[in-house]
Amino acid sequence: MDHYDRTGSSYGERSLVRGEFVQLRRCLLLLWIPVSAGAAACAREPARERPFVAAITTDPGHLNTAITTNGSVHTAGGLLYDGLVELDDNLKPVPALAESWEVEKGGSVYRFHLRHGVHWHDGQTLRAADVKFTFDSLLLKFHSRTRASLAPVLARIETPDDFTVEFILRRPYAPLLQQLNVEEAPIMPQHVFATGDPLHNPANIAPTGTGPYRFVSYSRGSEIRFTANKDYFGGPPAIRDIVLRVVPDPAVQVIALEAGEVDWLFGVPGPERARLRQDKRFTVSQTPGYSGGSNCISTLSFNLDRPLFRDIRVRRAVAHAVDRRQVLERVLFGQGRIADAPISSGIIFAHAAGLALPQLDTAQASRLLEEAGWRRTGNAFRASRGVNGVSDGTPLIIGFTVMPGQAQYGDLLRAQLRAAGIDLRVKALEPAVFSQTVFTARDFDTAIISYCNGTDPEIGVRRQYVSSSIGPVPFSNTAAYRNPEMDRLFDSAASALDPGIRTRLYRRIQEIAVRDQPYVWLVETLNTRAVNARCTGFGISPHFAATAHCTN
Amino acid sequence: MLLWIRASESAEPARTGTAAVSEAIRGPFTRVAGRAAGVIGFVLVITIVVAALLAPWLATWDPFALSGPSLSKPSLNHIMGTDAIGRDLLSGLLYGARTSLLIAAAVGIIAGICGVTIGMLAGYKGGITDDFLMRMTEVFQVIPRFFLAAVAIALFGPGVSRIILVLGLTSWPVLARVVRAEILTTKQLDFVLASEALGASKLHLFRHVLLPQVLPAVLVLLGLLMGQVLLTEASLGFVGLGDPNVMTWGMLAGQAQGFFRVAWWLAVFPGITISAAVLGFNLIADALSSAVQRR
Amino acid sequence: MNSRYVVRRLAQVVPTVFGIVLIAFLLIHLAPGDPVLALAGDNGDAAYYAFMRHRFGLDRSLPEQIATYFLRVFSGDMGMSYVHGRSAVAVIMERAPATLLLTGSALLIAIVLSIPLGAVAARRPHSAADIGINAVALTLYSTPAFWLGQLAILTIALKLGLTPVQGMTSAGSMETGAMRALDVARHLFLPAMVLASQELAVLVRLTRSGLIDELSRDHVRTARAKGLTEAAVLIRHAMPRGLLPVVTVVGARAGQLIAGAIVTEIVFGWPGIGRLLLTSLQNRDTPLLLALFVLVSFTVVVANLLTDLIHAALDPRVRIR
Repeated sequence: MDHYDRTGSSYGERSLVRGEFVQLRRCLLLLWIPVSAGAAACAREPARERPFVAAITTDPGHLNTAITTNGSVHTAGGLLYDGLVELDDNLKPVPALAESWEVEKGGSVYRFHLRHGVHWHDGQTLRAADVKFTFDSLLLKFHSRTRASLAPVLARIETPDDFTVEFILRRPYAPLLQQLNVEEAPIMPQHVFATGDPLHNPANIAPTGTGPYRFVSYSRGSEIRFTANKDYFGGPPAIRDIVLRVVPDPAVQVIALEAGEVDWLFGVPGPERARLRQDKRFTVSQTPGYSGGSNCISTLSFNLDRPLFRDIRVRRAVAHAVDRRQVLERVLFGQGRIADAPISSGIIFAHAAGLALPQLDTAQASRLLEEAGWRRTGNAFRASRGVNGVSDGTPLIIGFTVMPGQAQYGDLLRAQLRAAGIDLRVKALEPAVFSQTVFTARDFDTAIISYCNGTDPEIGVRRQYVSSSIGPVPFSNTAAYRNPEMDRLFDSAASALDPGIRTRLYRRIQEIAVRDQPYVWLVETLNTRAVNARCTGFGISPHFAATAHCTN
Repeated sequence: MLLWIRASESAEPARTGTAAVSEAIRGPFTRVAGRAAGVIGFVLVITIVVAALLAPWLATWDPFALSGPSLSKPSLNHIMGTDAIGRDLLSGLLYGARTSLLIAAAVGIIAGICGVTIGMLAGYKGGITDDFLMRMTEVFQVIPRFFLAAVAIALFGPGVSRIILVLGLTSWPVLARVVRAEILTTKQLDFVLASEALGASKLHLFRHVLLPQVLPAVLVLLGLLMGQVLLTEASLGFVGLGDPNVMTWGMLAGQAQGFFRVAWWLAVFPGITISAAVLGFNLIADALSSAVQRR
Repeated sequence: MNSRYVVRRLAQVVPTVFGIVLIAFLLIHLAPGDPVLALAGDNGDAAYYAFMRHRFGLDRSLPEQIATYFLRVFSGDMGMSYVHGRSAVAVIMERAPATLLLTGSALLIAIVLSIPLGAVAARRPHSAADIGINAVALTLYSTPAFWLGQLAILTIALKLGLTPVQGMTSAGSMETGAMRALDVARHLFLPAMVLASQELAVLVRLTRSGLIDELSRDHVRTARAKGLTEAAVLIRHAMPRGLLPVVTVVGARAGQLIAGAIVTEIVFGWPGIGRLLLTSLQNRDTPLLLALFVLVSFTVVVANLLTDLIHAALDPRVRIR
């Protein structure tokens, strides 16, 4: 019937016996259920081919990854589409829909040659017009990340013939290729989206792509089914049927994996990781990628608009009071590493080694605070004496704004900062409220942000430091850090095509960031994936299963 | 458990009073059994109240301090173990009892005041006042409470005062209906008519004549309500809507999520504590209603 | 049944629904947090926000938005979900059957179990059986639903392998007809039992007290005197009126149960509206939240209404005041 059925006979028989036993128990159980399904239904289930089941946490709502950066949509829709390029494990661009490309005019023109004979899932041929349409009508309007990074530099897209696409840029721009993968720029079919409102196009829930899997059906709130695209340009995937199954409770996801109802978890809760790793039935691996971002650093941000944090001694004191090893162990359960630079170690060419980040040193934290005028007067918490613009006796209370998923950071940091006499008050806000409070109203003292650096500092680091990204945009320059030198350095680094020059510029940027300490870089987070050991060969891209195969 | 009262009184106001209260009153634990159950209930609740009051002396650790290693099993040092970041669970439960009981009591007070006032006004005044108040009551009654609480807390942010406000403002309709029905029957009674005829002031009438009549039913309902509030608070913690700055049972029950395979103690102890407290309040309400019936 | 009662009862529904819509709208629109920020994801710029705001009518004044909303709701249109890009009502209607199936089965299980248990308890009040039944029911009622659910998953589903762990159907199952019904029933069993166990206490008590009442009445004594068996007395003479309060509770509970199912749905990964509520809260999907709120409350109103009318039809004592 299909390739799963070619299995060793002894193993097959054993599982059949067990299957019948389970069947019998289920039938017995059914006698208790007051549903008129009828006893006939207890007859043996026909042998059904097992699909590969991956658990997702939320129902994505739709599957069009070109109109949103919502992580759940990207997880669910990733199998369906392709970008012009793909990024390999070292983040080097490799051909995908574009077979080859040239960079001209010092990096201000990029010409892509599309692969011939790529078909949409509905049989139509992929053409250059699809690429131009996707950028002009979808990505640059609705994909907020691509819109933010490319709209300012992209002058226009030209299609000299059906299989050539030219990106004409306003100035030389080095990291373009890093932003053309399936995550940042999935290519959509023009003939499907040409008419009507793209946000309400029926194809958003019954999509057509070029990717390794084609869409089969979508049961709301329950599961999405895919089947292998036999005509895929990269060759037909070995796993035939994939089901993305909505299992909202992460703890139940693990149980479902153990019970064999689910084969793949995109994320494993920290505490469960050690247990699963010892279980031979599963393969557990770590990746820097999440849906919606990669190379993320959990970062404590100071609000530099607040007088308290204009004093570098207070910022340094907080940095010295934080025990980042404990954060790694007790919040992440070892899923990650202590951040040793402002740029993630995942962006190898830009990450600076050997910087002198403040280490845990409560005595030093206390000294700095005393110097700054925050004195201990027998109480657990410090109060001001002689701090400029602060009336004496004001207690040292610092607010710490978090989103609900990060409340654990708050619990731990509150206990740690207490040792230095700082009264940290945790404020947990739902994402929408968090965004408005922190970025629009700027009503916070400190906040924790997971800054996903992405595949190039231009994508996820720049926004954190340049003065032009201070403002009501979520996950921008949270600290409101201004430094003209920093702005200039980022501009130079973006237009320098020579990797060596870029490396030097980013090192300088990180040295300045460490000196000025607008943030405390806590930990780089890693994502743990778990898969049933019968399946191997998964990639880290949204196409994860396209290269994998399973045995029964 | 407000249910067997709510159900019958939702049908028709005139029938409500006597039927509802007598249903509440005819609990199964009458006489001997009633006393035993009531005793158990009082023991449970008093134990928890005393534990809450004495929390600073009973707790072996500061509930927010990192007093031990991450996720350590129950031991002599940490009788109920520690949580993920190394805080002592027993101390958390003791301090949590303070907040959780405070929430339950405050909700009870708000609901009690609103319910009794609105119910007495509606029942005594009748006419348009009654119609208006009863429609308002119905609006608040049909809005599913947990639903409203989840929406309000997610939108406005978590906080003890918000939980109290939301639950308090949505818990009074049952009380109002029962009180109103009681008043409807009571105000026809001779001694009420007599004190009216004697020219007693409205305030006097409400406080000294009508209130004592409705009080027993109100107390029963409040006992049941407190149990409900503890459960609702726990469920809010479970869906991640608790306030991280205060120890509450809901927060402790909520943080056990994701750990129940690796640290059973994080789920078991808060679970048992919450169940015991809720059971205690329900048993007391039962005992109370039997006492009312015997009266 | 008095027709004036029916008319009056129906008329009462209108202001109630009006009040619910108003409360829901104010609550959501006065809350802090800008839905556009949630819509825009983790990047974007001022022009993009203005564009999205205009698209979803968020740039108009609050009274204007309320007025438009009322007009739309009463014509059956509750707006487009931000996240799903489709009509909010359509999104909810896809999920409602799962919730109705779960709550309906839970109620059915609770009724089916509570009648015999209540009858046993009523036959010998204060016996060991009576006290035992009540103690168990009360304990189940006092246990948080999520705790009970997780316990059930760990023991019954994972350790014993008797039921599936989560979901409503087997993954990738394309079955139809009886096989599908069977598949759903297997998945339904555990969540329905957990939800039912919370209802049991209420129903057992009502059954018991209703039956005790009836068993002491004259017509039951007469029936006994005629030499009918205890079972026949119970079923034919005591139950019809003794179970009247149960009818009322069942109706009034049906609506509240839907909201109560939220936690159970999350634990068991049941694809109903409870989970939809939580995800729309996280996404700040205002139109969907409003529609959910209004529709669930409206369901409760209808359930109460039906209960009242049924009760009035069954019980001649119900009279318009």
